[in-house]
Amino acid sequence: MNLLLLFQDAFWSAIAALGFSVLFNVPRRMLAGGMICAAVGHAVRTFLMQAGLDIVPATLVGALMIGFLGIGFGRYWRAPSLIFTLSASVTLVPGVFAYRAMLGILQLSASTDPAVGGPLLVEATTNAIKTALILGAIGVGIIAPRLLFLREKPVV
Amino acid sequence: MSATLPKKPPLDKLALRDVIDLSLWAGQLLLQHGAESARIEETVHRLGTGLGADWMDILVSPNAIAVTTVSGEEFRTKIRRVVSIGVNLRAIEQINSMTQRVIAGELDRVQVRREIEQIVRQPRQYTRWASVVMVGLSCAAFSQLFGGDWPVFFTTLVASMLAMFVRQELIRRHFNPLLVVIGTSFVATIFASLASRFQWGEQPQIALASSVLLLVPGVALINSAEDLITGHLVVGIIRGISGGLISLGIAIGILMGIRLMGISGL
Repeated sequence: MNLLLLFQDAFWSAIAALGFSVLFNVPRRMLAGGMICAAVGHAVRTFLMQAGLDIVPATLVGALMIGFLGIGFGRYWRAPSLIFTLSASVTLVPGVFAYRAMLGILQLSASTDPAVGGPLLVEATTNAIKTALILGAIGVGIIAPRLLFLREKPVV
Repeated sequence: MSATLPKKPPLDKLALRDVIDLSLWAGQLLLQHGAESARIEETVHRLGTGLGADWMDILVSPNAIAVTTVSGEEFRTKIRRVVSIGVNLRAIEQINSMTQRVIAGELDRVQVRREIEQIVRQPRQYTRWASVVMVGLSCAAFSQLFGGDWPVFFTTLVASMLAMFVRQELIRRHFNPLLVVIGTSFVATIFASLASRFQWGEQPQIALASSVLLLVPGVALINSAEDLITGHLVVGIIRGISGGLISLGIAIGILMGIRLMGISGL
């Protein structure tokens, strides 16, 4: 495993998360938290995918890292953890898969030949399922600390 | 349920009205700024009981919020329509810390009202130009993550900065949100496809895929997943659908752009 590549991956994910933090109006003094979450979460996912894991379980592990780091930063800054986890996990969101699925569906509407439409349908469906599974993995990963360890009697 | 609660002095009608008004207001801010359903329910409940009510019932719906507050023999219910107006995590953080202080007994109703008014009034921390630059940098960072080289990086940077500027202008002119998405993704695609047109860099199609990422409905989709997992199914499904619609809008914008520029596929 190339350590330099992994470091670059972490660096660019942190920059990506910083942009979304600005978009989401994250308090200035907490910007670093989201960047660290993104760097660790995304680099872990990249590492696992290069080690041969599929993108869905790799995303789950990456999101778990973000979830637990978010709880830690939340304690440190005395803030809700979503401030750190939201912009960090946006870097894991499968945007490309999502609109490839949509593009496939749109192109499907223009093709009458089953030989052309068949592969398009397969591609669109695979991308849609992948998008849904990755999103589920992100959701589970982020709230895992609350599901596993910080269980409280619901107040409402 | 109320038998297990410590007895609180019953609030008079005016105080009860104040409590429901303030907690509903806080819930409205959380919903419109992108908090997940579980957080909204918990915060409104803690805020209302912290201000003296015996019990709070909250119904979070995708575009409205209903709260019933109970004190002694009296109760009041109020519904407010909520329109999502973009993620603002600073407001969520401030409401969270305000709620902590209410629970600790440091704030009364008058001070809570003043705090919420201050949260609503304050301007965003980052200027619109800071947003343009940072969002552009963010999309360009994604092009690096996808394995793009420097020409692709700079194409993505300019394309997404341009797109962010167009998005702000369209929002300011009160266009329909989906129309804003289509227009923004169209503009990003038009510029990013110049890279494919003139063969800037090794894999110019990466610029196409990265420059629209500023539009990806990450918060809607992540909140949807969280709401579904925590059992807030209705809100979760609606958020998922709105995220899907935004993705569709992105795809329509891309499709229009690449057809116009004569580029084939991503």
